[in-house]
Amino acid sequence: MNAWAEAADLAGTVLLFLGCLQCLLGVLGMLRFPDVLSRSHAATKPQTLGMLLVLAGVGLRLRHGTDVGTLALIVFFQFLTGPVASHLVARSAYRTGQTGSRGLLRDDLDPQLSDGDRREE
Amino acid sequence: MSNLFRDRSPYSWSFRVGRGRRVLDLPLVGWLTVIWILLWGTPSWANLVNGVLVALCLCLAFPLPAVDIGLRLRPLGILRLAAYLLYDMFSSSVEVTRQIFAKGPYHAAVVAVPLRVRSDLMLTATAVAVSNVPGGSVIEVRRSTATLFLHVLDAANPGEIEGAQRQVWRMEELVARAFGTAEDIADAARPVPEGDSSP
Repeated sequence: MNAWAEAADLAGTVLLFLGCLQCLLGVLGMLRFPDVLSRSHAATKPQTLGMLLVLAGVGLRLRHGTDVGTLALIVFFQFLTGPVASHLVARSAYRTGQTGSRGLLRDDLDPQLSDGDRREE
Repeated sequence: MSNLFRDRSPYSWSFRVGRGRRVLDLPLVGWLTVIWILLWGTPSWANLVNGVLVALCLCLAFPLPAVDIGLRLRPLGILRLAAYLLYDMFSSSVEVTRQIFAKGPYHAAVVAVPLRVRSDLMLTATAVAVSNVPGGSVIEVRRSTATLFLHVLDAANPGEIEGAQRQVWRMEELVARAFGTAEDIADAARPVPEGDSSP
């Protein structure tokens, strides 16, 4: 039993470390990428994965039913709300022309938006 | 197939209160109760009773529109979706890391991905799943044609764009098999649109 607890503690520590590393990568991406749309790649997704890892690590160290349940709840809501925020940022960035100085290699959306004023319902 | 709620309408677990459009949805009450208990942190009878009371009050005070959003929970499909999401998050995270440290300019692109499913729930769930995975960020969702517009970070070679599209279609199918009705699954199993994807 004690060996199991130690193993879980160790695994939890490793997961915590990996999660922090993942969040650090997100920050580095923020620094490296030039425009809003690319930065949103680095700012949102690695954070979600990093948070997942950190919470898994915390769960392994706490090892208590309700605590793990609360952590699962956090992950659930993070998964649900994160994309909404990043989508709104990306959408407004695109519509205000923040697509980077180099422009886009291919843009399927632009002809649809400038095609009259027919928005989606 | 372990379709727990295969042909059960969402209404069979709910009943009307009074003459208005207030509908008590039992799964919703249960879910709110679970959240309540988790927030208090200790599973006790007092918390359970209070949670049910609060959930009932919430459902009566803020009635949701009684629409069939077409949500079915399929445990096997959910497990497969979760496993694939986890795998995808790790593998594309490596990819994004490579791009962060890659030297030189990259070429981004905005790609239209026409989906095969038509229901609002499937569209939303696919967009959420795609946008939780590193590498694809959803810029715009067009409901009338069920099209997602993705920002692809490194689109220098054409294979990259097709890869991103294939990933979305794979996700779409997994989402439909996890949460969709039989109709959604049939929709998602259709062959992908051929040729140039831009409508």
